[in-house]
Amino acid sequence: MQESLFGPLIGALLDGDHARAVAEVRSLGAAGIGAELIVTAGIEQAMLRLDEKCTVEHFNLLEIMLAGRAAGAAIKELYPNGMPLGAARHTFVIATLEGDVHELGKNVVKSVLAAKGYRLVDCGKNCSLEKLAHTAAREAAQAVLVSGLITSVIPQVRRVRQVLKAEGLTHLKVVAGGAVLKQASAAQLNVDYVAQTAFDGAHYLDETIGARGGRHEQP
Amino acid sequence: MNSLERITASVKLAPVDRVPVIAQVFGHAARLAGAPLLSYLTRGEDLAQAQLNAWQHYDYDAVFALMDVCVETEAAGSVLTFYDEQYPDVASYALSAIDDLPKLSVPDPRRAGRMPELLRALKILHRQVGQQVLVVGCVLGPMTLATQLLGIEAALYLAADAWEGFERLLDFATETAIRFGAAQVEAGAHLPMVFEPSASPAVIPAQFFRELVAPRLTRLFTALRQAGAICNWLHIAGPVAGILPFYPQLGVNIANFDYEVDPREAQKALPHTCLNGNLKSLSFVNGAPEEIGEWSRELLALFGKRPGFILSSGCEIPPEAKPENIAAMVAAVR
Repeated sequence: MQESLFGPLIGALLDGDHARAVAEVRSLGAAGIGAELIVTAGIEQAMLRLDEKCTVEHFNLLEIMLAGRAAGAAIKELYPNGMPLGAARHTFVIATLEGDVHELGKNVVKSVLAAKGYRLVDCGKNCSLEKLAHTAAREAAQAVLVSGLITSVIPQVRRVRQVLKAEGLTHLKVVAGGAVLKQASAAQLNVDYVAQTAFDGAHYLDETIGARGGRHEQP
Repeated sequence: MNSLERITASVKLAPVDRVPVIAQVFGHAARLAGAPLLSYLTRGEDLAQAQLNAWQHYDYDAVFALMDVCVETEAAGSVLTFYDEQYPDVASYALSAIDDLPKLSVPDPRRAGRMPELLRALKILHRQVGQQVLVVGCVLGPMTLATQLLGIEAALYLAADAWEGFERLLDFATETAIRFGAAQVEAGAHLPMVFEPSASPAVIPAQFFRELVAPRLTRLFTALRQAGAICNWLHIAGPVAGILPFYPQLGVNIANFDYEVDPREAQKALPHTCLNGNLKSLSFVNGAPEEIGEWSRELLALFGKRPGFILSSGCEIPPEAKPENIAAMVAAVR
């Protein structure tokens, strides 16, 4: 029943067709389907299928970007003022650290996680460690995610934990990813996990944080 | 055999006295020479001297006139931000929308941006070592330059949303690469390496590569050979196993592969093409000479007596690399 109801939305998302995805969301809304169900049974299911398809060997940014853009448009249609805290699974802070201005990888991860129902606070590119930690504290984040394309950003990544500790945020998970960072081990980068792809990082967060009590309590 | 003869023989899959070794050293050459990276990236003479110094220090088989991935886009009108000890990045792209493309003209390598400095470096390298060492220039491939002219996200969305406009952008990028590449050969490069990271299957699907990028690469490689390049070298990083079989049709003579590709798979996909790779770039920063030596020997053993292999990293050896790690790779072939 759900498959036939949400199939057209899932198809539009997998095709990366954002206009069709928005139209399907409107159609589901008009049929009386609530926003949260559209996210969990439609958008999250589409991401799950994309995830199954996108192994490390069969992963390309273009396909993920298009699906992510379509999912973002669908979520915006459902929540024009942003996903409320109560609707999101957990909050993560994401950034490209100071010295690196490459944002594509970060933006792709952001799209994938947002489509999986997480709330992402984007600190942008060239972000200082202090800004990252302050934002994580302010937003009551459960993890910080850092992306890096160039070698010179590695010393910054190694200091993330230390700066979080100064803010009393020792419980946060730290996940790194990106073309250069993924060549290193978690121990070398002093992080909890090094993601090989956006979905690999999402799996880790699903397993370590997502399962811990599910969505936020309604305020 | 000197280095040039060794590489030339390897490209023909002919016997060699030893396996050639190429360290893809660019900004690292400036560090090794104790020179500011900024001067390496902006002054051809400084680049050439640092390359010659690194070649003398390590004794590998090629030198490079390669600044960074922003040379062409800067020449076409992008504004860059330069740093003292880091590669530049694009502050504002030459194109804010595809509709602006008719306003751009293909850059003249004799005048535009840092292109003349890169040509100056090639002239010096050719004069100093061109009879014995492979002198390599560099052009961005069409896909990569397209993403550098418009920004990668905008370019990829354009490819999905307005196919024809994206093809026009690719054609402009191809013409830029042909003109710059031919000028490099004229200045003394034995070949310009075609650097095409945005065409990696990690970025675009293989079908996209075959339909949109491959025809332009073929045109580029044909033009480079007509201009006098001794062979064609294609550098795409990431999980390229699925697109390697296309390489011979494109005119590729040296195929770069990085750590994401199993060397056995690369050999199987390209039995008649010279391969170079595939040590992990970051291992030159955080690894130890013993490890680099061991991994190098493993690769040499895997290729055994197969002619047509060049030991190298799979991508650039970062500026921060430990010199002893590069020396360990070079020592492995001797």
